[in-house]
Amino acid sequence: MIEKVKQTTSEKLLLVLFIILGIITFYIFVVLPQKCLFVKNYDPKKIFFKNPENIAVLNINCGNIIIKLYPNISPKSVERFKMLVASGKYDNIAFHRVIKNVLVQSGDLEFGKKDNVNYLYIGKGKSGFGTIKSELNDDTEFKAGTVGMARTNKLNTEDSQFFILLEDAPLFKGEYTPIGQVVYGLEILDTITDDHRREYVLRPDFIKSFKLLID
Amino acid sequence: MRLFIITFLFLKIFSPAYANTIYYLTKIPNLEIHDLTASNGIKYLKAEKSFKVGFRENNVQCKNVNENDIKNKFDIIKKNFDKYDKKFLKKINLRYVVLCKNLKVAEIKTAGVPNHDMKTLIVNIKFDERYFERSMHHELFHIVEDSYKDLFSYKEWEKFNSPGFKYAKCSTCTNKLDLSLINDTKGFLTEYSMTTASEDMAEIFSFLMVGKKKLEDIALSDSVLNKKTIFLKSAILKIDNNFKFN
Repeated sequence: MIEKVKQTTSEKLLLVLFIILGIITFYIFVVLPQKCLFVKNYDPKKIFFKNPENIAVLNINCGNIIIKLYPNISPKSVERFKMLVASGKYDNIAFHRVIKNVLVQSGDLEFGKKDNVNYLYIGKGKSGFGTIKSELNDDTEFKAGTVGMARTNKLNTEDSQFFILLEDAPLFKGEYTPIGQVVYGLEILDTITDDHRREYVLRPDFIKSFKLLID
Repeated sequence: MRLFIITFLFLKIFSPAYANTIYYLTKIPNLEIHDLTASNGIKYLKAEKSFKVGFRENNVQCKNVNENDIKNKFDIIKKNFDKYDKKFLKKINLRYVVLCKNLKVAEIKTAGVPNHDMKTLIVNIKFDERYFERSMHHELFHIVEDSYKDLFSYKEWEKFNSPGFKYAKCSTCTNKLDLSLINDTKGFLTEYSMTTASEDMAEIFSFLMVGKKKLEDIALSDSVLNKKTIFLKSAILKIDNNFKFN
């Protein structure tokens, strides 16, 4: 006959402790590294757009960010941007400047290319197509999700670099050229690797692809 | 060369991530928006924490302001900057006015710090009440001057002074820092006017904007000041022929 041994209270506590420890370990080593786990992905083909010719789809590790471009507000800049997107120039380009909850910046075609990132000069590269004039206006608000052309401290130095705001920036109005607005997937940009100690990211995330909805 | 690259890389990697888009426009940390409604387009910002800025060393420092600090002063500040219209401000490249207190440059208390390149003017809201209004126009003049150097030739200006008079090597190179109006002007409105040609111009400009009548009265009996005033007015009108003094 087998005698049933009753668990002592301390044994029960130990078991609970092991279970909690197991959950914490699982969360730290499995759930947390999967930063895409709770991010919704958007399929642009399943969404109706009024002007699909002005829709660009930025694909990164965690999914698609869908951007509506502003050809009527900044025609020359959007023309440049569309040309670079259509020709695949932004594919595999680093998000070299990422400030958590503030903005992400990419588009350095010269020094930000995957497998050939130049950390010394990244952010100062050129596209080879020359600079374009700033297209500023006092009407377009710079809200979270606004896409703007990056530039140096001087106006009319826009080239290929762009930024996407993660927070409202009312002072950017009239200072930077707005080229579009994220309409879906803004939360996906929060998953881009940043470094809270510095603006420039070592081992940055890259654009997987950047395409126009209609080629 | 290698040392240069390592140093450059180090500086770049350790550039701090200021979590604030205002920083990208002004290069001044710890600012927040105070007022964006001015019809001339000036964006008023205020220091929410103390800051230190400067090119080589952080030699410009200023303390944060609270609502009470600003409450009484803001109307005065706005009234004075409202004297400039949008077109003129665009021409001289001024967009941001930063409000803070106890502003110092290299440990010397100062009324304001203009930065033409960054389109910014830092204003010390705790500056001496007697000269506070005038000081804003004084500092704004330095931005004007930086934007149109050719119009404000020091050589031409110095010719107005009596033979033998020499300005100091810099505005803080002497102890002559008094901003009160001199009784017997002899070509200079204040003691501080005598430090450099640039400060001399800025002092006259500030009187043109706050106390034009007094300046005109003095100029009636001071031919040097009269010539300087005409020179300055003419230069400003070349920038904007619709500019209104006072």
